[in-house]
Parts: sequence; C-alpha cells; structure tokens
Amino acid sequence: MIDPSWIVGLGVILFGIGLLGTFYHKNAIVVLMCIELMLNSANLNFVAGAMYYSDVNGWVFTAIAIAIAAAEVAIGLAILLSMYSTQETISLEDANILKN
Amino acid sequence: MGQNKHEYPLIYPLIPLLLIIPIMKFVFNMESFDAAFLIVLAPLLIFPTILIIGQIYNKNIVWKENYKEGGILALGALGVSLSVSLWILFDYLSDNHHFSSNTVVEWFQWITFDYLQSDYTIQSETRIIGVGIWIDSISLMILFVATFLCFLICWFSMGYMNTDPINEDRNHRFYAEFVLFSMGMFGMVLADSFLWLFIFWEIMGLCSYLLIGFYYWKVSAAYAAKKAFLTTRVGDVFLMVGLFILYDIYGSLSFEVIFDDPSTGIGGVLVDSNQLFWALLLLFVGAVGKSAQFPLHVWLPDAMEGPTPVSALIHAATMVNAGLYLVARMVPFVDVHHHGLANLEELGLIIAYIGGITAFMAASIAFVQNDIKKVLAYSTMSQLAYIFTGLGVALWFYNTDHHHAATIAFGASMFHLFNHAMAKGMLFMASGSVIHEVHHAFDHIHEDNSDSSHHDFDPQDMRNMGGLASKMPITATAMMFGSMSIIGVPLIGGFWSKEGIIAETWKAAIEEEPLMFIPAILILATAGMTGFYMSRMWLMTFAGEPKNDVVNHVHESTPWIKEPLIILTIITAIGGFLLSLLGVIDFLASETDHLAMHEPGIISQLIYTLEHAFLPSDVNTRLIGWTTILLSFIIGPIMAARVHGGSLKEGEKANILVGWLVKLSGKFGSQDVSSLSNSQISEALQNRLYFDNLYEYIISKTVFPFANLTAWFDRTIVDGIVKQIESKAVISSLQVRKVTTGSARDYILMTAVGMLSLFFLMWGMS
Repeated sequence: MIDPSWIVGLGVILFGIGLLGTFYHKNAIVVLMCIELMLNSANLNFVAGAMYYSDVNGWVFTAIAIAIAAAEVAIGLAILLSMYSTQETISLEDANILKN
Repeated sequence: MGQNKHEYPLIYPLIPLLLIIPIMKFVFNMESFDAAFLIVLAPLLIFPTILIIGQIYNKNIVWKENYKEGGILALGALGVSLSVSLWILFDYLSDNHHFSSNTVVEWFQWITFDYLQSDYTIQSETRIIGVGIWIDSISLMILFVATFLCFLICWFSMGYMNTDPINEDRNHRFYAEFVLFSMGMFGMVLADSFLWLFIFWEIMGLCSYLLIGFYYWKVSAAYAAKKAFLTTRVGDVFLMVGLFILYDIYGSLSFEVIFDDPSTGIGGVLVDSNQLFWALLLLFVGAVGKSAQFPLHVWLPDAMEGPTPVSALIHAATMVNAGLYLVARMVPFVDVHHHGLANLEELGLIIAYIGGITAFMAASIAFVQNDIKKVLAYSTMSQLAYIFTGLGVALWFYNTDHHHAATIAFGASMFHLFNHAMAKGMLFMASGSVIHEVHHAFDHIHEDNSDSSHHDFDPQDMRNMGGLASKMPITATAMMFGSMSIIGVPLIGGFWSKEGIIAETWKAAIEEEPLMFIPAILILATAGMTGFYMSRMWLMTFAGEPKNDVVNHVHESTPWIKEPLIILTIITAIGGFLLSLLGVIDFLASETDHLAMHEPGIISQLIYTLEHAFLPSDVNTRLIGWTTILLSFIIGPIMAARVHGGSLKEGEKANILVGWLVKLSGKFGSQDVSSLSNSQISEALQNRLYFDNLYEYIISKTVFPFANLTAWFDRTIVDGIVKQIESKAVISSLQVRKVTTGSARDYILMTAVGMLSLFFLMWGMS
C-alpha cells in the first residue's frame, strides 16, 4: 500500500507543472492541457483522502470530476475552434480584446 | 346671423336630465339631501369626459357644431347640479321636517386612525375623518348662487368662447376646467369639515390658475396666472397653519364636532381664547388671500387676463366668495350666546378694518381705470370688502353679546354676497358681451387689411366705446341694473344689503366701540365713490357720442349671450326687494328656518320693510341711511355724469329703460377734469397705489438674494459633493482598469496568487 502522502505530493508536483505551463505557453491547446493537469492533481487529492479515511465518497467524486472535465474540454476545444475560425490564431497573446 | 335658429336645439338632448329629480325621489325614494352628492359628482364625472373626448375628437365637425366642443356636456352636468340644489332649497324652504337647522349627512368614513399621543402610547380613542355634507341657510344660499351662476355662465360661454376664432379647438380645455372649478365650488360649500373645505378650496385655486392662464402664450396672461396662484398660496399657507391649530384644539376638523360646543376642546378641556384667536386670525388671512383683500389684493385685477366668463364666474361671483364663506363659518366660535368664546372682539375689529381699508382703496383705484374689466375687478374687491366689514361687525357684535344687531349685520352681509354675486356675474357677462361685439365689429371693419393696426386697438378700453346704448339695448339695460345694484340705488338689489352693513357698522361705532369709526367712515365714503365709478363706467361705455368709428358697426347678435343677461337682470332688479320682503336677513342669520314675512298680509309687510329701510326709528340709523343714499345715488352719479355723460348721436335711440338715463346724464353740464387727471394722486391711482411696485421691491430685496444664496449652496455644496464623488470614481476606475490586460495568463496568475494567499491566510489562522 502506498502512503497517501506520496499521492498528495504527486498532486502538488502535477499542479505546479500545470500552473507553470499555463503561464509559459502561448498555445491555447497546451494551456488547456495544463489546466487538465491541474484538475487531475485535484482528483489525486480526492483519491488520497479516500484512501486515508477509507471513505468511498472520494472515489465517487473523482469519477464525477473526470466526467465533468471531459465535458469541459469539449467546450474548451469548441471555443478554440471558433476562435481559430474568426481570428485565424489560437495564440493567447492575441486574445486580448477584453483589455482595459 | 342666420345660425341663431340652429343653435338652441342643441340643448334638447339635455331635457331628459330634468327627469333626474323625479326618478330619484319616486323610484329610489331618496331624500333631497341624500341626493346632494350628485351636485359634486356630476361635474366631477364630466370633467375627464370632456377632456378625453375633446382630445380624441378635436377638430371633428360634429363635436364642434353639435357639442360646442364640450359646452353642451358641461351645461348638462351643471344643469344636474342646479336642479338638485334647487330641490334641496325648496325642500328646506318648504319647512320639511327632515331638516334641522344644520343638516349633516355622513356618507362614509374616509380615514380612520388611532390617535398617537406625544409619549407614543396609543390611546384607545379612534379618530375618523369622514365625508359628508353640511347644509344650513348660508351654505344653501351660496350653493344656489354657485350652481345658478355656473349654469348661466356656462350657457354664456357657448356664445362667448365658441365664436371667437382664437379659442378654436381649445374650448374643450376651457369647459373641462370650468366644470372642475364648479365641482370645487360646490364641494367647498357642501363640505362638512374644514379639511374638505380646504381641499376643495385648493382645487378652486388650481382651476383659477389654469383658467387665468388660458391664453398662456400671452406673456401677461401667464404672469397673471402665476401671480394669482402665488398670492393666494401665501394666504393658503396661513390657512393651513390655522387649521392645524384648530385640529390641535378640537381634535377634529368636522363642523359637527367643533360647532357642537366651541368652548370645550378635545377631552373636555376649556379652550384658551388666545389660542383660538390666532387660529381664527390665520384662517382669516387665508380668506383675505382668496377674496383679494388688502394686503393680498394684487392678484385680482391681473386675473382679468383670463377669458371674460372666467372673470364673471371665478373672480366675481363664486371663488372670491369662498373667503367670505370661511369667515361666515367663524360665527359659532365667537357667538357668546351659544357656547362661543368671549374676548375675541379684536378679531371682528381686524376683519372690519381690513374690509374698510380695502373698500376705500379699491374704489379709489377704480376711479382711473379705463379697462372695463379692471373697473369691475376693483369694484369686486370693494364690494367684497363691504361684506368683510359687515362680517367683522357681526363677529364683534356676536362676541359682545349684542345678538340682535349681530343678526342683522350678519344677515345683511350674506345678503350682500347674494346680491353682489348676481349683479357682478351679470356685469361681467355684460362687459363680455360689449367686448365681444366691439371686437367682432373691429374684425369686421378690418377684414381686408387684417394685420395692420390690429394690436393698437383694445376692445376692452372704454375710451374706444361710448354711445353703445342704442347698439346693444339688452346689454345696456343689464349693465344699468347691475350698476344700480352695486351702487345701492334704493329698492334695487344691493341697496337692501349695503344699507344694513353701513347702518350696523355705524351703530357699532356710535353706541359701543369708537375704534369702529374708521371702517365706518371708510365704507360710507366708499358708498359715494361706488356711485361715481360705476356710473362713470356705464356712461363711458353706453352714453355720449361714439369715441371710435368701430362702435358704429356693433350689433348685439351672438347667440347664447342674451338669455343669461335677461334672467339676471330680472333677478337683480326685483330679487333683492322680494327677498327682503320675505325676511331673508333673518333666514341667512339662521334665526328662522324658512323665508317668511314678519307681518301678516303683503301690504303691511311692504310698509314694514320700507319703513325699516327709509324711516328707522333710531335717529342715527336714519341719518346714516339717508347720507348713504345721498352720496351713492345723487352725488356720485351726478359727478360722473358731469365728466362722462352726454346724449347719444343724432338719430340714435336707446330703448325706454335706459334712454332716460342717457338723456338725463347730458343735463348736468360738463366739467373739465384734465388738470385733475394729470395730478399726482391720479398717477398714484393709475399705478394702483404702487402696491405692485412695493411688493416687487420687497421680493427683490428678500426673496431674490435668498434664492441666489440657495442656488449657490445647491451648485457648490450639494452638487459639488455629488460631482466630487463622481469625478473621483472616474479617476479610480481608470486606475483599476490598468490591471485588466486582456491576457488570459495574467488573469490566471492573479487567480493563482489570490488563491495561494487565501490558502496561506487560512493556514495561518488555523
């Protein structure tokens, strides 16, 4: 049995990678992937909690969160597609019409 | 004009309205006073009807020709009011035992509330403000005057307003405001509490404002409307404060509660006469504003800017009587015979003084007016002042326990109100007839070159008239009887009442109170002055040779105008005599419940009345009476005839009723008054004794600086704070906006940092 603290540690590392990825990448798809990474690190926290407390709720939440993440990715990709069809770019540098 | 024949059938649809009384009486089994609500309700319902239909069908030919732009509807509503009020009047006079001397009908309770004491404990007592009517001899008399004159003047308006092209397509506004005004007047007279009296009083004020400003595009009319509204508002503020004090004393404003026992206030406390004095004095200030007495008289002459029917109705016959009605309602407070409070003599003195001063001042200003309506306006002020003097004397007598003298003074004052309203309403309508026909004749002559010199000619200026007696026989006759009534020519109209007022004032002065001498002398002098200025007006208009070519083209031909004049001429000529034969003075002073003769048999009553009027047993009264007759009937008119009298042009003939007067006026020779008319007094009178200038000066020294100060305060302090907040908010929002770069990463960074700091914060706290 793996100690839950390892799993939490993995979650922290994944979250950090995801956060830094969102900061340093211009490509919107990569940013989306990084966001997924952060989401999954949160899922890992649930899993760790479920193991630590021997509570099945954590597993259930993880399953729901994964389903929701899938739906969210679909929406994100749709936004990116429509962005590409209008602006012909998916670079986040250029997506700044909300400025000021 | 051939259209004469087609006009009168228009009122045939109104004839079924006469059935309303039989229906109410026999089908619904109603008592006359239960039907009184119709008097107010009929005009109230017709007011929006005329406005809405008038807006929708404006310029529609049927609406214009068959409904007179609402005039027929208004006439119908006023006809209902008139017939119901006549029903009540006959019921009352026929000694019907449903009536006690004061009839109160309470319809429903309008507002009910628990009385909160100053220490915020709710008392068990519940106070009720109800809606009802109050009928006694005074309110019946004024109700009759109001409904009757409203009806006649509405009739007159259909001739005067609808034939004037300047009013085209706007008459529905006139008729709507007219019926709303009528509603206010009827309601005020019928009101059973001071609160409702005040509400209807304000409705009348509003309508007066609207109707004076009927020609609102004229600067002078708009100014006059504002002046009238604001000046009466000054009085109304005092009136309101007076009502607050009354409410404080009695815990109710209902006549029934207050007049039941005016000496005990709420909770059985004895009323402090000093407090009541101030309440009544403030009420009187309100009356002064409404009835255009010194020092709030400045609005009435300017109010003549309104259409002539408005002047006839509102500013001569009805609304200006509201103040008198209010003062007449003060009698129970001071009547020491019936629970009244003692030590209120000063109130009567003040009222008599204001009356005397106004009477004299207005009459003297009327000397030099050349505008026919302005003369009548000043005459109105002067005659109302007579009534105020009479009421003041009556209140004084009531308070000093001279019950008999008080009764005569009070009854004579109320009777003068009746005579004056009838005569002055007719005089204004007659002057309207003159103005209308002169204007038409002028338009007729200048049809070809319409624009030129149109503005130089004033159809109201008596210097453009003269010699109209042969051109307008009915108007000349009406105006002669009206003037005679105002002057107080023996046996006609106002004589019976004016004599009583003057005699009682002198009686008070000689026998009781030397302070009364000043109003007594003033109103005696005014009697002679009335004789002068009324004769001057009549002679300038109707006698002598025409002073302007226009006069030769005048014809008395407009429909609807003659009938009211004829009816009122008959009433003015013989009504006063008949009513005084029937003992109206005792009736109005609530001494008897119905009109009745003192003596059995008409001949002995005739002798009794004449003896009372001309040869009273008291020497002083007899002397005063004959002096009054001499001044007003002989000296005043002869002096006027010397200046303005003269026979008509060769070949012109006046009818028999006025012909003798015209001829007689030429017999006194002529007098040159040009030196007098250039004098300083004349100039001061022309400028209305500088009251307007004085008020303007005072306002420019007090109100304007204050207004400037508040405007500065508003601009710099109030607006300044708001503007500072606004500009600071704009600047800070500019700062905040810099953070929003539009780049998604920056937002993510901000979110991450924010979350992390929250996380650390919570960690630190736990």
